[in-house]
Amino acid sequence: MLANALSASIMGVDGMPVRVEVDVAFGLPGLTIVGLAGSAVLEARERVRAALRNSGFEVPSRRITVNLAPAGLPKEGTGHDLAIATAILVASNQLDGSGLARTALIGELALDGSLRPVPGAMALVAAAAGAGIAQAIVPAENAAESAMVGGVTIRPAARLGQVVRHLAGVETLRAHRANPQRADPDAPIDAPDLVSVIGQRVARRALEIAVAGRHNLALTGPPGVGKTLLARAAAALLPPLTEVEAAEVSRIHSVAGVADARATTSLRRPFRVPHHTISTQALVGGGPRIRPGEASLAHRGALLLDEALQFRSDALDALRGPIDAGIVTIARVDGVVALPARFMLLATYNPCPCGWFGITGRDCNCEDGVRRRYQARLSGPMRDRLDLVVPLESATSGHGAPGAAEASARVAERIAAADAVQRRRAGAPNAELSPDRISRSAGFGPDALATLEARGRQLGLSLRRLHRAGRVARTIADLDGRDAVSTQDVDEAIAFRPKELAS
Amino acid sequence: MIGVGQAGSTPSRTISRATERDAWIALAAVPGIGPAGFARLVRHFGSAAAALAAGPTEVAAVERLAAESAAAMRKIGAAGARSVAAGLQAATRTAGGRLVTDLDESYPPALRTLDPRPPVLAVVGDAAAFERRAVAVVGTRRATGYGMATATDIADELARDGVVVVSGLALGIDGAAHRAALAAGGRTVAVLPSPIDRIYPPRHRALASEIARAGGALLTEVPVGAVIGRPDFARRNRVIAGLAEAVVVVEAPDRSGALLTAAAARAIGRELYAVPGPIDAMASRGCNRLIADLHASIITSTAALARQIGVLRGRPAPVIGGLSEVEGQVLRQLLERSGSIEELVDRTGQRPASVASALTLLEARGLVDAFGGATFHATRPARGLTGSI
Repeated sequence: MLANALSASIMGVDGMPVRVEVDVAFGLPGLTIVGLAGSAVLEARERVRAALRNSGFEVPSRRITVNLAPAGLPKEGTGHDLAIATAILVASNQLDGSGLARTALIGELALDGSLRPVPGAMALVAAAAGAGIAQAIVPAENAAESAMVGGVTIRPAARLGQVVRHLAGVETLRAHRANPQRADPDAPIDAPDLVSVIGQRVARRALEIAVAGRHNLALTGPPGVGKTLLARAAAALLPPLTEVEAAEVSRIHSVAGVADARATTSLRRPFRVPHHTISTQALVGGGPRIRPGEASLAHRGALLLDEALQFRSDALDALRGPIDAGIVTIARVDGVVALPARFMLLATYNPCPCGWFGITGRDCNCEDGVRRRYQARLSGPMRDRLDLVVPLESATSGHGAPGAAEASARVAERIAAADAVQRRRAGAPNAELSPDRISRSAGFGPDALATLEARGRQLGLSLRRLHRAGRVARTIADLDGRDAVSTQDVDEAIAFRPKELAS
Repeated sequence: MIGVGQAGSTPSRTISRATERDAWIALAAVPGIGPAGFARLVRHFGSAAAALAAGPTEVAAVERLAAESAAAMRKIGAAGARSVAAGLQAATRTAGGRLVTDLDESYPPALRTLDPRPPVLAVVGDAAAFERRAVAVVGTRRATGYGMATATDIADELARDGVVVVSGLALGIDGAAHRAALAAGGRTVAVLPSPIDRIYPPRHRALASEIARAGGALLTEVPVGAVIGRPDFARRNRVIAGLAEAVVVVEAPDRSGALLTAAAARAIGRELYAVPGPIDAMASRGCNRLIADLHASIITSTAALARQIGVLRGRPAPVIGGLSEVEGQVLRQLLERSGSIEELVDRTGQRPASVASALTLLEARGLVDAFGGATFHATRPARGLTGSI
């Protein structure tokens, strides 16, 4: 007899609906899964068999064929287990299949018949919703994120038996509360507070500008000067996600399987800090099963490359695409997968291997060639994509009295206000605006434009540099609550440009 | 006040300015009397007119005179300085130029710092070329491709920065420098070892007229009609160095004429730069030795040269007026001591935003530079302006 159930599979960061067809026929007893099933899917044979038996059902001693349609697209993951098990019960007349209509079944089965969570539940449910279902049965742990997909009743379940009884109409799985509860935005963030940063007023200023407009920022300087501390402080400065952005972020994190339920429903912007030994694939995504990389996990948030020059230079260069386009494109024989990756880049690095090059009153003992090679790890095109570069000197060598520094919360308030202004103007942070949108915005008057062009000539700046400086100047005015961009704003933006390496 | 000579200071023999000018032109045209001899005669006799009036016998008591020099002086004595000067001026005009004496306003200001200096010059072209910042680019006539390319780069950079490129119109490096300056739309000055009606080397005649057409100038000490045997390169090279604030030797083998220019630059206190070459390159041995002996600063890139000289591409001459309070404050601090933005924020007590934008404006005006690093420095032009801030 024939039966089918609906589940879903992940491609990139998107789900695709999968129809699970089961045929139980006379023949040599066995369970065959077809439809480009990956190894995790093939192993469902053993899990499903044991889970059915241990839940008190019978595994028919027949020839069972499972087809995952569309059969031409590769399927991955363990989320099909529940749909396969249920369809087998229907096909072997142990369950009435009428309850399966307009229901998606998602979940991994344990051998004892309990349901285990799967990564990407949100994307899976969203895909199934697109296929016109009314309800989705998911593992209890995936309920919260699944509920963020609107228009679908989410019924969390703990065991296969519960699911079967619900489908048979014997008992009802309670629907998950439809209104998604966001995590408490006031919950403390694991980030250093700016109040603990002594001096460094210029770097603080640059950090505030960068976060407010989501511009790319690099902090350079000798070891121990507080580059990393400042960069990490950005986590607590980022304005909250909008609902739409939160949905995008949650889906990516859900697919990557890195997030707990709290994080996936949070309005907090992602702040990713990959280690410098990371591979190119792990940084931008890819692999045999295409998984989102750190660049995508930082989508709508920040990607901090601490000690950026220690990263493999091919990994660094792979970030050029996403920095320009906001997406990572991975081409495969069977198609192109686009992973969203719009992040602000934060980078810290030493000016040379010993760390003291160009620092007043200190000697660098690196040889010229060594230093040049070190600095060249950040390629010209990558350097070009930085909006603000701030060389830090140690506060103790400076002359600043450690005054009462401003706390992160105060800075975050100003940033949130500037963020709101940008959203009202263009619906996006300034860093994402085209040069035209910036220069034609009402506040960018002829004076500011003329200054920008004059500095380009006087300081020999490229057009790309001027575009980037224009965006930063726009953010500086926004932070100040002014619609008009002043010539001082332009000059300040240009002061933070990456400088040509000293020869 | 008039030139080196104390003309008019001897009350008994008051000479009109025009008469003295004619006397300068006539006396300077006497072969064998160089700028040093000329200066000695004027000092001894009180004026050039007096020296001519004294005649060759009295002059010979002061200055060793060759037979031809004495003959020339006698000729002037017979015809009169006035008619000799008029003849020279007419001949110069016919050749497309004019005579400029040390007594004239239009005498190149940079040469006035030389002592002794050429009393009379023949000039073709625009005298405005002498009013601007100028750098000499010189080198061997037997240049390699490296030398030609480097000379071209350097002259191009300088011309784009608005600097007048001075050279000697010779084949090789000199020609490359003049051509690059012209191609970049800049002005260039050629100091000739020959009269203006007999361009040396002849192969550069077209180049010479192009230089004069394009806002530059040809300049020589040698009067029109002078019979020249071997051109006097040493005298020419001293004028080249004198016209420029810095001399760049691009490529020079041992015993190159360019090394004479280098020596002249050192003698008269002009900055000297040399482009290094491979240690086994004969064509660069002179340059390498200048660097090794610490006579010349090494040039590692054209941009580095522009930085050292204090000009950068596209930067207008620094204008000190119109600085805001913060900008003035920041510049004053940097003139006192270099520092990072962070330091300047502390030292000026201004907001980081104001200090950052002030630095950009000062940098755009060529008054400060960070040379790619964290520390900002006041540039040479800014130091030259200390009095007016």
